[in-house]
Amino acid sequence: MTDELTILDAGPFDRVDPDEFVRAAMRWHFDPATGSRYWLERAARLNFDPRHDVKGVADLGLFPDLADELRGVRVADLIPRGYGSGARLLNVFDSGGTTGAPKRVIQLDDWMRHSTEQVNRRLRAHGLPDGGLWLTVAPTGPHLVGDVLQRAAAGLGSVGLSVDMDPRWVRKLVAAGRADDVDAYTDHLVDQCRRILLSQDIGVIAATTPLLERFAREDGLVEMINGSAKAIIWGGTHMDPDTRELLSTEVFPDVPVIGMYGNTLMLTALMERVGLTASEPCVFDPVSPYVFLTVVDPGTGEQVEVGERGQVVVSHVSKSMLIPNNMERDTALRVRPDEGHAGDAVADVAPVPTVKGETVIEGVY
Amino acid sequence: MTTVNVADPLYLDALGPRGAYRTRVPTSVTDVTGTEVARLSLVPPLFVTRAMAALRQAGPIPAADLDALLAAAADAFASGTIGGLNVREYEHLVSRTSGTPLSVVHAATEGTARFVRQARSSAWRGRPVGAAGGLRDSAVREGHAVWVRQGDVFAVNASGNHPGVHRLWLEALALGYRVAVRPSRREPFTPYRLVGALRQAGVRDDQLVLLPTDHRTADTVVRDADRALVYGGDDVVAKYANDPGVLPQGPGRSKILITADTDWRDHVDTIVASVADEGGTACVNATAVLFEGDPAPLAQAIAARLSALPSLPPQDERAVLPVCPRERAQALSAYLGTVAAGTRAWLGGDGIADDLGDGSAVLRPAVHQTDSADAVQLRSELPFPCVWVAPWSRSDGIAPLRDTLVLSALTRDGELLDALLSEPTIANLYIGDQPTYWMAPGVPHDSYLSDFLMRSKAVFDAW
Repeated sequence: MTDELTILDAGPFDRVDPDEFVRAAMRWHFDPATGSRYWLERAARLNFDPRHDVKGVADLGLFPDLADELRGVRVADLIPRGYGSGARLLNVFDSGGTTGAPKRVIQLDDWMRHSTEQVNRRLRAHGLPDGGLWLTVAPTGPHLVGDVLQRAAAGLGSVGLSVDMDPRWVRKLVAAGRADDVDAYTDHLVDQCRRILLSQDIGVIAATTPLLERFAREDGLVEMINGSAKAIIWGGTHMDPDTRELLSTEVFPDVPVIGMYGNTLMLTALMERVGLTASEPCVFDPVSPYVFLTVVDPGTGEQVEVGERGQVVVSHVSKSMLIPNNMERDTALRVRPDEGHAGDAVADVAPVPTVKGETVIEGVY
Repeated sequence: MTTVNVADPLYLDALGPRGAYRTRVPTSVTDVTGTEVARLSLVPPLFVTRAMAALRQAGPIPAADLDALLAAAADAFASGTIGGLNVREYEHLVSRTSGTPLSVVHAATEGTARFVRQARSSAWRGRPVGAAGGLRDSAVREGHAVWVRQGDVFAVNASGNHPGVHRLWLEALALGYRVAVRPSRREPFTPYRLVGALRQAGVRDDQLVLLPTDHRTADTVVRDADRALVYGGDDVVAKYANDPGVLPQGPGRSKILITADTDWRDHVDTIVASVADEGGTACVNATAVLFEGDPAPLAQAIAARLSALPSLPPQDERAVLPVCPRERAQALSAYLGTVAAGTRAWLGGDGIADDLGDGSAVLRPAVHQTDSADAVQLRSELPFPCVWVAPWSRSDGIAPLRDTLVLSALTRDGELLDALLSEPTIANLYIGDQPTYWMAPGVPHDSYLSDFLMRSKAVFDAW
């Protein structure tokens, strides 16, 4: 037990063996004494024994995709019993609700420390300064990304001035074809950002792709950002490679533009690999031993070849939560991960293409 | 016949305000057999907004240069080499990708060159008689109106059904607008050539851009413009119905009316040509023929003539019918069967897809007779020669003739003609033996475009 606790408490740069970590996590999450109520009950309906059959990272693929069940699970049932009364629940986060009712995840303080540490280590590698002010335009409240950014700023001795964004409302507007209202909402966000940028010395800007695209339309804002910002972090949504290159080379040539890929069920964010040029694919490395990625053929579920595009499958494994084998709504190129990390890295993440059948027959156009 | 070397794909770059722009992963443009013939760069929204901002910054083409410039562009379009393609190579590609018969494409090249040359005079034909052309006009001295633009940037979201759709936006350019063209992904060659020709002739890169995009980003092109022309079906018309900045160009539903005082036998050539010329794919092709009498002999005669048209690949000099990928042809054929339920089929009753064996199929003509003038089928416009022949009587009135881009009226009834002229939803009225597809520079297609682009501003110069 002591050994297990040690390895499960390992930080992101303790270089523990990922397979060993996964085995320890299985023993923890599926031991009646330490596992959560949700997993202990769910285990009875699995057709394998996680403690016996999951021998390493690759065997996480034995799990079915259970993420849908997180729409209804009670929060208390997700907390591993092994924490006992000492469990420190910091947040309950919702997914964006793109595919229906939101899924819910918990964040305990030990995971928050690990997550923040890995994000900060990577931001420092990108040359982000300590101190100074951040402007973060991101979904906050029930959404993970705003919290990740605030903690990242704090971890670098900075503070984030934040502008809140409600992605669910925007999605509703888009679905209803209310493009004018989407524009008006975006303008509203930009107005708030403009005030902050005009009155404060902002060193780091963290925003979504549409917001950066919107900034790019205002010469005054672009000039100000190029003059003062030390880094721009984009995330929350996808950015196609052409847009990334245009932003890096034409719009913000004087500021590093750094990608961030994450989502609620990953429970953290992956930062763009250091040292890439604007014309190279934007690679995101996994974080062993917690976040494992696989790029698969959506038809067969088989891993695609390196360099090929497939659908992204994410597993989160930590002492606080287990979300294995979750099929994301993203596609990406499979890339070899940075040394020391298990699974795949991903590049040029893009949404799953929605197939638009040839339904419109009428008419000559 | 010149063909493009498959080993060396043809790239159609976006033509941005700072020159050609190639995306990282250009999308395939395939011909009717599914073979890739070119790679098209679909630009992201950020590129669009930056290009539109550049258009806004640029000034209009100086009026003094305009006629020479348009003449040079017309020559380049009709006979130059643009983007590595000479005119024959260009026409071949248009024909292979859009499935439009080569002879139609060839005629369209000539026609478009004529429109380019006359774009300025065409546009100025729409000027109100009470409005002067500019401040230097002596009429302004004592109080007058001056004809001015309502905006600076014009966008067109074009269709690929016929190369001729790219004639209209030239008027916007001639009136001083800076223009963004979003080409059809199926047939981007014509706008690419036209924008290239105009640039060769001296239009600056920041005055005219070609922005290929996916469907979603196309909305950005339209939204960032002051005025936009958008081609599409009824859904597009409905989407922009309340947007004063957008002029939708929807289905034409062009028709022919023949009253009892006219012997249709004298006009079969015109009727058949209205249905099938241009490959039957244009909004000015006749969709319905209404006849005051028994329509059966008329339908039979049209069917007899159309049935004789040969099935040939589009690039064959003798081809006259449109071609498309086989699956789409089969879908269209099945769809026609559903729509035509309850009508009498004179031609095409057992399907209209004629497989060419290379992955493509010819869309053969269809002729159906309906029971009444208010049959729902008369509103159904399909992208091949497809005509609904209906009985019409005075008691039906003009209701069945509404929502018509071009109505050719074979009648000598003056009162009826007055009523048709007054009907707001009939855009164009041709009287007598005139095919629906007739068009000429300076004659409006759907009112003058300048009605949408310009206004008359009162000016008094008291100096």
